[in-house]
Amino acid sequence: MMKLDPSFIWTAFVQILSAIPTTLYITLVSVSAGLIIGIAVALIRIYKVPFLHPLATGYVTFIRGTPMLTHLLLIYFGLPMIIDGLAAHFGWGFRSVSIPMIGFAYIAFSITAGAYMSEVVRSGLLAVDRGQMEAAHAVGMTTSQALRRIVFPQALAAGLPNLSNSVIGMLHGSTLAFTVSVVDINAQAQIVASTNWKFFEAYLAAALIFWGLTFLIERATALIEKRINLYNRGGVI
Amino acid sequence: MIKLKQISKSFGRHQVLKNIDLAVAKGEVVVILGPSGSGKTTLLRCVNYLEKPGGGEIAIGDFKLDCRHARKKDIHQLRQKTAMVFQQYNLFRHKTALENVMEGLLIVKKLPKEEARKKSIALLEKVGLGAKLDAYPSQLSGGQQQRVGIARALALEPEVILFDEPTSALDPELVGEVLAVIRKIAKEGITMIVVTHEMGFARDVANHVVFMDGGVIVEEGTPTEVFNHPREERTKQFLKRITPELNYSI
Amino acid sequence: MGAPFDISYIFSFLPKLLTTLGTTLLIVGFSLLAGILVGFLVALPRLYKVPVLKTFAEIYISFFRGTPILIQLFLFYYGLPEILKLVHVDVTRAPVLFFVILTYGLHTGAFMSEMIRASVTAVDRGQVEAAYAAGMTSFQAFSRIVLPQALGIAVPVFSNLVIALLKDTSLAFTLGVMEMTGKAQTLGSISQHFIETYIALALIYLVISFTLEKLLLVAERRLLRHEVPGSPARKTFGLQKNGSYRRMIAQLGPGKGGGG
Repeated sequence: MMKLDPSFIWTAFVQILSAIPTTLYITLVSVSAGLIIGIAVALIRIYKVPFLHPLATGYVTFIRGTPMLTHLLLIYFGLPMIIDGLAAHFGWGFRSVSIPMIGFAYIAFSITAGAYMSEVVRSGLLAVDRGQMEAAHAVGMTTSQALRRIVFPQALAAGLPNLSNSVIGMLHGSTLAFTVSVVDINAQAQIVASTNWKFFEAYLAAALIFWGLTFLIERATALIEKRINLYNRGGVI
Repeated sequence: MIKLKQISKSFGRHQVLKNIDLAVAKGEVVVILGPSGSGKTTLLRCVNYLEKPGGGEIAIGDFKLDCRHARKKDIHQLRQKTAMVFQQYNLFRHKTALENVMEGLLIVKKLPKEEARKKSIALLEKVGLGAKLDAYPSQLSGGQQQRVGIARALALEPEVILFDEPTSALDPELVGEVLAVIRKIAKEGITMIVVTHEMGFARDVANHVVFMDGGVIVEEGTPTEVFNHPREERTKQFLKRITPELNYSI
Repeated sequence: MGAPFDISYIFSFLPKLLTTLGTTLLIVGFSLLAGILVGFLVALPRLYKVPVLKTFAEIYISFFRGTPILIQLFLFYYGLPEILKLVHVDVTRAPVLFFVILTYGLHTGAFMSEMIRASVTAVDRGQVEAAYAAGMTSFQAFSRIVLPQALGIAVPVFSNLVIALLKDTSLAFTLGVMEMTGKAQTLGSISQHFIETYIALALIYLVISFTLEKLLLVAERRLLRHEVPGSPARKTFGLQKNGSYRRMIAQLGPGKGGGG
């Protein structure tokens, strides 16, 4: 084991910076896609849409009950099998080899995020008083108008802390992308660590970067929260 | 036998209590009236140190406590001589009605379990809840919870029971049952200090009425004196506002 | 990629994976104990507002909640021996499991301390006042009135944290620990039936998570038997009464928000 080299922390820090965009892409894609999936799944579960409802519940239970790593591995090994199977059957030209590695991370993590986001959305919606929906109907809005204009904004305010937690969860979860050879912050730290044989310093630099990113997400959440909550200043919480 | 001397209290720069003196004789029912923010609840909470007074002296019987040099032991002793009935009932949520009443007897008075149980049942029967011994607070109405609160206070056999607006959190139709219980125990000669907005009740039950405003006692006397012949302008104004039905017909 | 799908492999892999279930549960169990202990130690200075210590506690929590568990694993595995070498303690020969449990314990501890703080703060202030008014000491008020109520409030978050910990242990393989996920990777590469292994692996995690959740739900019901279901009568947007709203909020609250 080498001696501790504090100055290398900075060197590693600079070398790892180049991988930040990859981490952010993965986080951003999985959070955005996850949010869309989450809203759909939450509405299906709240309105108990026949047939889809048990599927949605099963999806959320499965994802929340299993490690994120298994989702990635299942997609990485399973998706090509399905795609190539279908392609051979229908005679498509497309083959799974043309999917870039990061594509698997995008898909898998979006599926993971979707389940968690659906719980965020659901709890946010449940926090909105039913009287709000009734009042919106009473002034002549349709259900979708009421959802968009009255319920969702309030649900967002209620669900923001959970949303922020989930975004941080996905940011941290993106470190798993190394298993499908995507070079994110974590993988870059591994490379820097093993080429220089300075593991501790490299991972410390990576930890500091993640700490900083997490801090930024929390600050941003606090700012948005302040703006959104203008309407219920002096509220119960 | 309860004497408050020069009790003062400030929240930051705002002085809420300005050197209050008050004497309560044994068996007396003292009602404290006053507009909100007058300091009446703070005064009550100072008596058992839920609020720490800035200065002054609290004496109950032979026991004396100098608020500037109160030790933990003194505060503990003071609290054992007093009991409180809260505006929000504050029943222990994880305990049944019976356990709520027994808790102080077992933990503070160190009574044997069987004795504590018998005594508690008797008290709950007295407040009309003999049938609700095993109900949790969440299963009781506000009026029932407050009656358990009163039984809990009685159980400790304190020198004085402090009532902090005991009916103001209740639905109007439940106020009566709680006031009836307080009336009943007032007649038994238990010393009580009551902060309330219920004028009719105050007139009925009080031996002594205290009117507070702006952190001072503006006026005190018998109910007849204070209600029928108030001397101070502030008292008159307050009584006029709080009992408009006497002046106007709607 | 790999051999063609054959469902029978899933069934034959299940018992093979289960041979390493002990290791996974061992990591979960010991990390949990360490985490609860650390959680209390870290929560106390914040609850009692002890200067300096409170700041340390906050930095601790911020770091362990602000960085990925995977990075923490590497950091402790490679960093701890080097740091301890400075004070002439040699842990280079300590088993990997020691580092793994230490890291998971410290990681969970940060979340546990938030859970403890949140649940204690969630107990109504009036409860303590009533205890004091009845003549209880502050220790009696805490142990007899606050703690029992805080426990009930904490269970949903605790449940969430235990399951998060279980799932996080799937990363221990990165340090070469042969727990379930590590075993699954070995089985996969030997047989080339990756999909089947990972399906079997996911199934086992699912069953354990599900069981843990149900067990803790029973514990919660017992601890909160004094609360009438849905007693704070609130009408919500929800068109169904599926589970309690408080529970959902609690699950998401100071817990881990996905990933892992």
